[in-house]
Amino acid sequence: MLVIVVENAPPRLRGRLAVWLVEVRAGVYVGNLSRRVREMLWQQIEAGIEDGNAVMVWSTNTESGFDFLTLGKNRRIPIELDGLKLVSFLPEPDEGEKEGW
Amino acid sequence: MLPPLKPIAMKERVSMIFIEKGEIDVIDGAFVVVDKNGVRTQIPLGSIACIMLEPGTRVSHRAAALASRVGTLLVWVGEAGVRLYASGQPGGARADRLLYQAQLALDDKARLKVVRKMYELRFGKKPPEKRSVEQLRGIEGARVRKMYQLLAKQYGVRWRRRDYDPEVWDASDLPNRCVSSATACLYGITEAAVLAAGYAPAVGFIHTGKPLSFVYDIADLFKFDTVVPLAFRIAAKKPREPEREVRLACRDLFRQKKILKRIIPTIEQVLAAGGLEPPKPPKEAVPPAIPEKEKLGDAGHRG
Repeated sequence: MLVIVVENAPPRLRGRLAVWLVEVRAGVYVGNLSRRVREMLWQQIEAGIEDGNAVMVWSTNTESGFDFLTLGKNRRIPIELDGLKLVSFLPEPDEGEKEGW
Repeated sequence: MLPPLKPIAMKERVSMIFIEKGEIDVIDGAFVVVDKNGVRTQIPLGSIACIMLEPGTRVSHRAAALASRVGTLLVWVGEAGVRLYASGQPGGARADRLLYQAQLALDDKARLKVVRKMYELRFGKKPPEKRSVEQLRGIEGARVRKMYQLLAKQYGVRWRRRDYDPEVWDASDLPNRCVSSATACLYGITEAAVLAAGYAPAVGFIHTGKPLSFVYDIADLFKFDTVVPLAFRIAAKKPREPEREVRLACRDLFRQKKILKRIIPTIEQVLAAGGLEPPKPPKEAVPPAIPEKEKLGDAGHRG
């Protein structure tokens, strides 16, 4: 099982992903593909994501039964706890740091 | 409205998570660790067997309540996993199992049979006939010392003896620290499994008189072909962070050996060797007025 979620991705990339995967909701792609295809897809995402962000999740033989990769800026960042991968949610940046108009 | 929370079976869970620093609370119904910078990390509490809380954590009342509702054991551990206190998954949910376990422990013949079965599982053959529990324990002690030495030799580790002081962690040598860390991981998941199956951690057969006697009995069945060799293997590498290395390796090993799937069946197997029937409810017993709802968890989980 393979799931890819993209946010703020250019339509070019979204169309490209839909070549191999089913877009079950906006930006959510599902499929069941091999490791080699998965790596090929990730290369495509790296090449086409621009300012957006992406996460790819697939089932594998880890203790949780899956693994994931992320790309681009997001408030959710992967962390590792003694061999188990979880996700931390960063607080909103201070007003001053926010990009203005 | 969301349906109520239920525990899931031990065999479907991942083994453990160590939480080192942060405020543990419930946010939007999820178990969350918040660090001093405000970074939140959600922990999938319900699909973990036990949460090991290290020094530097604070747990809210709501978080403990949530852990109990999903049947996850919270263990407060000291440096490198020396256990301080545990709760979150109250045991003793099954009177029939507790009575069965107590009956086996009280009956000398049955207890000996259980102990013999435990040694048989550990050493791969039946222990010598006509020995008391005391004598068997002596034989075991000698074998265990020899096993430690053998493993130390095999991995090229200098080993004097099993020696540790829970009060002064750093006083032990590296191999002993690795063994302590690794066994602490095993005890955590074993206690979670014992409770989930509805038995009492304190009613032991080989070990007695400690709050976790039965946990030590059951953990010993797995210890020497899992965590002890692992501890020596790590000790041989002389890592900078031995405890972390040990935990990582333990997680891998627990997954490979499918330990969480095996603990509860093994408990049933050794107890069945006692040859006593589980007690039937007395004739005058009143069945529960409200029938039990369908459960996803193990027998000892309060659904």
